Amino acid sequence: MRALWLLPLALLAGCSDAKPDKTRLVIQRFFGACEAEYGRVADIAGAEGECGIMTAMINRFEAENPDIDLVENIVFWPGYDQLTAQLAANDAPDLVTMHGSVIPDYQARNLLEPLDADLAAIGAPPARFTSAARAAVTVDGHAWGLPIDTWAPLWHINLNLFRKAGLVRGGKPILPRSPEELYAQAQQFRDRTGKPYLVQGAANEYAGFTRNFYTFVMQQNGALFRNGRANFRTAEGRNALQLFKTIYDRDFTTKNQDYSAAVAGFLNGDGGVFLVGTWMVGTFDAKSRETSGALANGGYTVMPYPRLFQRAATFADGHNWVMPRNSRRTPEERAAAMRFLKFFAGHARHWARTGHLPAFQAIIDSAEWRALPHRDNLAILATTAQPLPKEVRRQFPLETIVGTEAASAISGAKPIDRTLSNMERRVNDVLDNL
Amino acid sequence: MTRSRLAIALVGLAAMLMLVPLLWVLALSLKANSELMADTASVFNGRFTLDNYRNLFGNGAVFRWISNSLIVSFGMTAGVLILASLAGYGFARLEFRGREMLFVIVLLGLAVPEQAVIIARHQMFSWLGMHNSYPALILPGLSAPFGVFLMTQYFRAIPKDIDEAALLDGASRFTIFWRLLLPLTIPAQATLGIFTFLHAWNDYWWPLISATNKEMFTLTVGIASTQMNFAQTEGLGFLMAQAVFAGAPMLIVYLFFQKYIVQAVAGAAGR
Amino acid sequence: MAAAMRTRGDWRNALFVAPYLLVFVVMLVLPLAMGMWLSTTKSDLFGTERWVGLANFVRLFGDAIFLQTVGNTFVFVLLTVPFLTLAGLGLALVLNRQERWAAVLRTIFFASTVLSVTVVTLVWRLVFLPDGGLLGVTAEALGKTPIAFLNNEKLAMPAIAITTIWWCIGLPMVLFLAALQQVPRDLYEAAALDNASRWTTLTRITLPAIRRTFFLVIIVEVILQFQLFGQAQLMTLGGPNNATRPIVLFIYETGWRQWELGYAAAAAQVLFAMILIAAMIQYRISSRKGVA
Repeated sequence: MRALWLLPLALLAGCSDAKPDKTRLVIQRFFGACEAEYGRVADIAGAEGECGIMTAMINRFEAENPDIDLVENIVFWPGYDQLTAQLAANDAPDLVTMHGSVIPDYQARNLLEPLDADLAAIGAPPARFTSAARAAVTVDGHAWGLPIDTWAPLWHINLNLFRKAGLVRGGKPILPRSPEELYAQAQQFRDRTGKPYLVQGAANEYAGFTRNFYTFVMQQNGALFRNGRANFRTAEGRNALQLFKTIYDRDFTTKNQDYSAAVAGFLNGDGGVFLVGTWMVGTFDAKSRETSGALANGGYTVMPYPRLFQRAATFADGHNWVMPRNSRRTPEERAAAMRFLKFFAGHARHWARTGHLPAFQAIIDSAEWRALPHRDNLAILATTAQPLPKEVRRQFPLETIVGTEAASAISGAKPIDRTLSNMERRVNDVLDNL
Repeated sequence: MTRSRLAIALVGLAAMLMLVPLLWVLALSLKANSELMADTASVFNGRFTLDNYRNLFGNGAVFRWISNSLIVSFGMTAGVLILASLAGYGFARLEFRGREMLFVIVLLGLAVPEQAVIIARHQMFSWLGMHNSYPALILPGLSAPFGVFLMTQYFRAIPKDIDEAALLDGASRFTIFWRLLLPLTIPAQATLGIFTFLHAWNDYWWPLISATNKEMFTLTVGIASTQMNFAQTEGLGFLMAQAVFAGAPMLIVYLFFQKYIVQAVAGAAGR
Repeated sequence: MAAAMRTRGDWRNALFVAPYLLVFVVMLVLPLAMGMWLSTTKSDLFGTERWVGLANFVRLFGDAIFLQTVGNTFVFVLLTVPFLTLAGLGLALVLNRQERWAAVLRTIFFASTVLSVTVVTLVWRLVFLPDGGLLGVTAEALGKTPIAFLNNEKLAMPAIAITTIWWCIGLPMVLFLAALQQVPRDLYEAAALDNASRWTTLTRITLPAIRRTFFLVIIVEVILQFQLFGQAQLMTLGGPNNATRPIVLFIYETGWRQWELGYAAAAAQVLFAMILIAAMIQYRISSRKGVA
């Protein structure tokens, strides 16, 4: 018992574990943890999936730069709670993954470092980005990060089931061109395969609902935000919610699956179209090369959201590397961070294998990228992918509000009109109290 | 007689139901990820594997989490025992100005829930730049008034003649405390120590917002992080192996020290 | 002589309590005061913008989401505390024996209490998930469609309540056991001499004797369950449609997600007040019944 008394003193004394001869570089990222499979892997070309490729890249950089003590923080998506707490403590990481939709919040508070000069120095100036990627990191005419990619929600299609449903022509899937066509095709799909048309991760997940809502309002040329305030009580909003409510009511979608169950479900052939983002292209494509399983023998393709209304548009966002401000960061640490960014930019073409759209125009134009499976279907997104305007702040809490409200309208728990006014009121409440 | 037999049978059934969720998780942890991905009901097909546990030992972050939890829990326990014993002795045995008032103020602290102070605590540690450190995880827990209350009661119950006799021999206050009275409080120390350890081990909200670095995760926060990244982690079997690994130590300790743990928790609530 | 010894070194005596008091002031009193001040400001995690007086509180009482979280928390307490109290009492009555099997059963019922909330939620998610959870697999084996408890507005809160009851049943049980073991033997002997039935013994002797513990259990559980956080955050994210969002989750999300620290602090003060009032009401009731 008495010896225990000395323990706390001993503990408090030995609290730091810095390696004095190495420069410390703290990289914080989401994209998941896959240490079981990729913990020691440094072969980027052989890695698969967001987590795999990112882990391999970081491992490889660490191996090639023995003078850098690299600390990799994997945070649970999206990691902004942690980052905010770290910034308040002036203990922010050197590099962190940040969505383009969130950059304005941190930049407005002067919490990010502008990187214009550094990007030019490492050979990755904004001029070489795609227009979508450039827009993601540019606020007030300055570049606040290195874009990693642009991503959009997509229609991942089980071609085997589509074929069975008679919805394939010339090797390509037949997609609807209006809500009515969608209902008809979904009905046909169900009649011939016995499965629901859509697979959705709808449980414990709200982002998907928001993306669908934004996308289909944009397709009707609706203005979601006007003068920095929400504008949801419109015919376009009603149509967007009604579309998915009809799909739900007529059982054209799987229900009650959380994200992982939906992924597993799509792989098991639970439905025809999985509504999820660009990051799954690599995984599903790999499955389609196998000889067994629901997607086997080339039974997979992917298309952008079909144009169901007046305009082809898809709500989009992107991932970026940003450098949070940290007054304790030494010049060596900053240089180490830039070395990583240079390394990453140099290997950016590998990130394209995750399915996300590359941030560098040169990669989009390259034959190598276009040769990747299904990318020719997705190239159009370079023009149709559309983020929310940069004046809209707090996009993540707003995403939760819009998503939870949309979910309750779609499941029938609330009438659509009341949902839209709730949604608008709650979003404006946040925006008014910025 | 039959009515009590019925009651016992019901209780027995309830006990079995209590165990079912734990057994389910254990079973899942012994299945290959790929099998579970295809169909969770494959649990019943009898093909078990220790692969998930092997992976855990190879690459699991669980060990880091457990060691962080051990350091924080032991640190907080030691800290509380020291501070509460000293203060308990002071309040129970020693005269000084304002003693009664201070004791009442400390008791009032018992009514303050974590939520009323956690935001400001977070701010304070932010300004000091002390987040993601063991002191940050240990210090707040040292302020809990329960320990002082318990130790004060306990010291009060010790007969004063021991003190008087030692005082007559010229012993200092501290010697009386350290050599004579403290050993007599071992039962209270055990209760307080166990209760504090348990509380520190299972703490969630404070480590969640203070230990945001993966390296600093306590076991509780680490297990929470795996639940968010459901699909992007290594598979259901592996996840369950982590859960078993996280819950087992406490359960094993409980099985061995049952009597003391139950006493500690009951004593704490019974204040 | 003794008196002189006691007053000598008066301030030195205070040194014993000084270390604790230092931590107490810095870690409890100061944050308490700061929290109250924060609740009257418009702040975020990076700094305070301006003083707004009671504006946060006014906004809280007009905030439909906040009011819903208050309602949810009350519903949750009503779902869990009565059951925990009565079931805990029942278990204690049945298991208050010397036999080995009783000891084994007591062990089982208390075991879940030593687990952390995150382990508990992980375990029970795997029970409630429709696609592959225990209940889902069982339902499918019986040929029925699995129910998505956690995604159903009406069933999500009961599901969380069941999880919590499984987790917390041990504490009421041991508290009642301790109380039962302190009931004087002679009371029972006297009842036996009078040929009292088991029911009469229970209602006239046992229950009144443990009345104090009964109220203690209620107040302890009410205070504990008012602070619901982990289960709701991890199992349902407060949904669906805010059906399971408790006050503490509101505080966490408002402060750390919406960056409105002052507003969150105000909500925390409201929760604090609610807990205090509940404790005082409980105290009033138990003292009026003559057991305090």
